[in-house]
Amino acid sequence: MSAMPAQPPPLIGRRRFLAGLGGLLLAAGLGISAPRLHAGIDRARLRDSMRRLYGSRGLSTLEEWFDLLDRLDGADLNVQLRDVNDFFNRRVRWLDDIDIWGQEDYWATPLETMGKREGDCEDYSIAKYVTLKELGVPGDRLRMIYVKARLGRGNLTQAHMVLGYYETPSADPRILDNLVKSIRPGSQRTDLDPVFSFNSTGLWTGSSTQSQADPVARLSRWRNAISRMQEHGFV
Amino acid sequence: MSLIKQLWLTIVVVLLLAFVGSLAVSVSTSRHYIEQEVRIKNSDNANALALSMSQLEKDPVTLELLIAAQFDTGHYRRIELRDAEGDTIEQREAGEHIEDVPGWFVDLIRFEVPAGEAVIQDGWRQFGTLTLESQHSYAYRSLWQNTLNLAGWFAVAGLISLLLAVWIVRTVRRPLDHVVSQAEAIGERRFVTSPEPRTLELRQVVQAMNRLSSAVSTMLGQESEKLDQLRRRLEHDPVTNALQREPFLARLEGHLHSDGDDASGVLALVRVADMAQLNQQLGHPTTDALLAALVNELEQLNTLNGDGRVARLNGSDFALVLPRAHDLEALGDELKQRLRDLASRHPEAALTLPSALVEYAPGMTRQTLLASLDGALASAEDRDEHGQVIVESAEQDALFTSHAEWRSALEAALLDGVQLAHYPVLNRQGELLHHEVPSRLHLAGEWRPAGRFLPWVSRLEMAPALDLAVVSAALEDTAASGQAVGINLSPRSLRDGHFVSELIARLRARPELAPRLWFEVPELIAMHNPEGFRSLCRELHSLGCRMGLEHVTTRFGEIDSVHDLGLAYLKVDGSLSHEIEGNPDRQSLLRGINTLAHSLGILTIAEGVRRQEQAELLFQLGMDGVTGPGVRQEG
Repeated sequence: MSAMPAQPPPLIGRRRFLAGLGGLLLAAGLGISAPRLHAGIDRARLRDSMRRLYGSRGLSTLEEWFDLLDRLDGADLNVQLRDVNDFFNRRVRWLDDIDIWGQEDYWATPLETMGKREGDCEDYSIAKYVTLKELGVPGDRLRMIYVKARLGRGNLTQAHMVLGYYETPSADPRILDNLVKSIRPGSQRTDLDPVFSFNSTGLWTGSSTQSQADPVARLSRWRNAISRMQEHGFV
Repeated sequence: MSLIKQLWLTIVVVLLLAFVGSLAVSVSTSRHYIEQEVRIKNSDNANALALSMSQLEKDPVTLELLIAAQFDTGHYRRIELRDAEGDTIEQREAGEHIEDVPGWFVDLIRFEVPAGEAVIQDGWRQFGTLTLESQHSYAYRSLWQNTLNLAGWFAVAGLISLLLAVWIVRTVRRPLDHVVSQAEAIGERRFVTSPEPRTLELRQVVQAMNRLSSAVSTMLGQESEKLDQLRRRLEHDPVTNALQREPFLARLEGHLHSDGDDASGVLALVRVADMAQLNQQLGHPTTDALLAALVNELEQLNTLNGDGRVARLNGSDFALVLPRAHDLEALGDELKQRLRDLASRHPEAALTLPSALVEYAPGMTRQTLLASLDGALASAEDRDEHGQVIVESAEQDALFTSHAEWRSALEAALLDGVQLAHYPVLNRQGELLHHEVPSRLHLAGEWRPAGRFLPWVSRLEMAPALDLAVVSAALEDTAASGQAVGINLSPRSLRDGHFVSELIARLRARPELAPRLWFEVPELIAMHNPEGFRSLCRELHSLGCRMGLEHVTTRFGEIDSVHDLGLAYLKVDGSLSHEIEGNPDRQSLLRGINTLAHSLGILTIAEGVRRQEQAELLFQLGMDGVTGPGVRQEG
């Protein structure tokens, strides 16, 4: 699946990165260590995986992500949604899977997305989904939605994926998208036609070992991505 | 626990382990696989149906139709549609179809498959949740079938393995049993030889035991050979190899006092007339050669007519005793013929060989017999060059005069039954080993000792019947007294198949008495009929009886494979223990016999012991028991 945006998403500003890094160093220097927010992710393991796979550049993005998690912990839901949406929309450059991974359709884990700083539409959605879940947003309110996107004024349509936040199952979802940077209700997104939605309910069950041992997990693209997340240190 | 049992146990345990193990692995693998399959199907079908529904109008009829179509054409247990609030919109359910699978099996397997769930999208909003469960009861059935098949296969495999195991155990067991029985035989001092089994370990054991047996056999052969040489040096005339005077007279004495069928027979005397002149004329070496040729003739006569002895009584007198021989006329003729032939072969010597014959019988004395023969020989010398006189001994109180009378009398007496005399055989401590029980028959109004009728029993070939009667009497005797008895078997009986089977039958009828029965056979008989003796030994041994030899000299080592007969005792001939005081050579001979017998675990008993001092000396020489006229049980 690919989605051609009107213009490529901007790279993160250098200043902002330095500020983030400086803040991190300041915090480290002052002896303020980030409290562990959730037992859900294993930061040490994530750092290891990141260092091994993408080196220090990937590591710095990961640290920014940890900062984001620390900062948004307990924050207002609207702030959480907005900042998470912004975090990935700003840092990750949109690119087709074939150019990033050399294969047609590859579902990257958030770690891979942050490491490469490049991603396809579903990579944005997955990363946002995982981050919000990590921040304590209930999983059943988050759904990844396949949509048909109309681009520009013509009738050119594209398959695309967005993340929807449902206050209740029958509510109008708020859409986190990488094409339109701001969060809007689904009913206002006339450029998108929803087709189908899913989340990890019924998939992300059981312990990580059991999931990895399950040979079937690798066969479904979604479950495959989940099991790779578990390997990297997301639970 | 026996080796065979352990082998069986191991085989059964291994089979069970293999069966239970593979059944468990197979069932658990299948179960896991089926669970995964059903889980995937649940999840995929739920998503597919939800996807279709998301694209369609959400009016109830369409939804119901979609669910019904899916449910009716597919294999589902439950398809359920709930709205966003969790209220049921549509539901289809079917029961489980577990028909012929036992309940315990279903409980044991019990699949745990989560239902597949998917959300139906209605524009941006969620319309509802679809829950779907596939029918998986068929899996219990196929798993049960699978288990049954496996069990069936294992039953077949188990059966084949058990048959194989039976075969293996049997091939192991047969040589093993042989080894065990050989070891037991050797434990009983029967040094038998076994065929070597094919199993390597057992073969080594059997080879070792066979080596032991053959070593014992060789040792026995060599030692008895030495003893025999020693005895010959002691008892035989070095020139002619005939028995010397002393041992001959002792043997004759033995015959005259015997309670057996050797108590009567023929005694012959041959004289070489004018020995001094012969010596002068021909020289010593030639004369000696002539004497040896004479002894050779007498030995041939002996061998052809029985198992007597040839002796040189003095320089020129030669004697021949033939127990159990009675036809004086025929023997006389044959002797005369042989002497004449001998003389004609040596015409230069001008031999004069007068002879005299007499029949001896119980009650006669050695002295009178020899004196009458001497007198007869003198008159024979006067007749012609090879004169012969047959001494007509007045047959002392001859019981019957003809064969027919003897036969009918003996048959009648056997019907009346035999009485047994009791002569004790005592050990060093004066305790009874067993009683020798010579038979007494009621003949002509009196109980007659065996010496009176045994020659006639032999002559009329009634020995087996008499022996059986003695066995019956002995069984009753030992049953009543609780003391062991020694039974003599005649040579005739040994050759009689009917006798042997009858004997075994009678002993089988009283198995508790068998250990108190000692059976004995003369050494010479065992030598002449080793096959018969061996088979009798095996039969009686298996019943628990003891087997022994009587009138043993030094030739028992010559009996064919005497080392594996399992002999319990030897009764050493009285002529060997005769006048042993002051005769160190004879003492060492006896000591040698004792050592040899003891090395095979065989008891030695001296026969014909006359005096207490003699008995004591015999015990000092290593004898285990004594019997004879001088042996009395105290109390």
